[in-house]
Amino acid sequence: MNRFLVVFLSLFVSSVFAYIDEYVNLGEQASSIKLSGKVFHKNPSIIRKMHPEFLRHKRDKTLRQGIRTNEYSLKGCVSCHANKNKINNQYYSVDKKGQFCSDCHKKVGVSFDCFSCHRTVPREDLL
Amino acid sequence: MNKTLNRRDFIKIMNATTGVAIVASGITLTTFASVSEIPVTNKKRWGLLINTNKLTETDIDGMINACKQEQGWGTEIHSTASQKPAWIKKLKVKDKATNKVSSLALMCQHCEEPPCVDVCPTNASMKREDGIVLVDKHLCIGCRYCMMACPYDARSFVHETLNNQKEHMPRGKGTVEACTMCVHKVDKDETPACVESVNSEAVIFGNLYDESSQINRTLRVIQSSQIRADLNLNTGVRYSGI
Ligand code: SF4
Ligand code: SF4
Repeated sequence: MNRFLVVFLSLFVSSVFAYIDEYVNLGEQASSIKLSGKVFHKNPSIIRKMHPEFLRHKRDKTLRQGIRTNEYSLKGCVSCHANKNKINNQYYSVDKKGQFCSDCHKKVGVSFDCFSCHRTVPREDLL
Repeated sequence: MNKTLNRRDFIKIMNATTGVAIVASGITLTTFASVSEIPVTNKKRWGLLINTNKLTETDIDGMINACKQEQGWGTEIHSTASQKPAWIKKLKVKDKATNKVSSLALMCQHCEEPPCVDVCPTNASMKREDGIVLVDKHLCIGCRYCMMACPYDARSFVHETLNNQKEHMPRGKGTVEACTMCVHKVDKDETPACVESVNSEAVIFGNLYDESSQINRTLRVIQSSQIRADLNLNTGVRYSGI
């Protein structure tokens, strides 16, 4: 079983490494965390590959069991990865062209439908 | 290999080996007042008690506005009057014998045996263990069976594209929605917005099962009723004075 796990893990880790984008529009808070040298996601490639699954588990826990922890919360993703328009000091929606979510999704040709319901910018009092 | 991994162990190992961890020191993310990591259980049952003798019409309007503010509905511009969402509404009931008219606030009654859950083909309409009935919009296909099944006309369908939703309340075109009993607040040990908006004791929120809670104690001494009690749905929202 363990051997199987190792093979499986290395397989998918390598498939993730196959895609590393030089230019990623990280977003306001995420960029400053990165600049400060702190590590938020120890292994971004896992997040890149697995975030749909992480989010799906998290959504079921939150909605059906009332477990509202920070980890893998979509709110957390949005509040860190949203960019600000420097002129009017307003956040861009993460799903708009050239922004964090849409940038990557467009590149890999995967459509997503989180944001017809979910808020696309950090919450009101963070604006 | 002497141990078979279940899914949970697998995820644990995943986290350990790949280090998908959140380093939160010094990072201000969304802050939560109190966060439970334990699933809600059926040891609790959340409910409301609405005293129509104390509740004024102004109170009801206040409750409706508080709900709109909290949950972000009510600003739909393209929907017709009958299409507009209404999570909570003002209702007048008349006693045919005495002609006594009472106004009451009607929202999802958070039935123990919810017909809306029974008819849902995708399990989107669901009841939490603690009795709060919700729509899982990830699974909702917009068929609106639940709207037809609900005896209280408590549910609404979103007919237009929305944006700038509340962070805690995702809402979108093509899905059904209703009063959530402010579950995002309840999970933080707070009180629903509509209850907070009423100054008097006309609306009480609490755990129906907890014998020391105000709602339980009040329900044990006063005459109260469920709307359409004949349907045996055992609603979580109770009324007195009607
Ligand atoms: S009042 Fe209607 S929407 Fe609410 S739980 Fe009962 S049947 Fe479902
Ligand atoms: S409990 Fe919350 S969602 Fe339900 S009617 Fe009151 S304010 Fe609206």
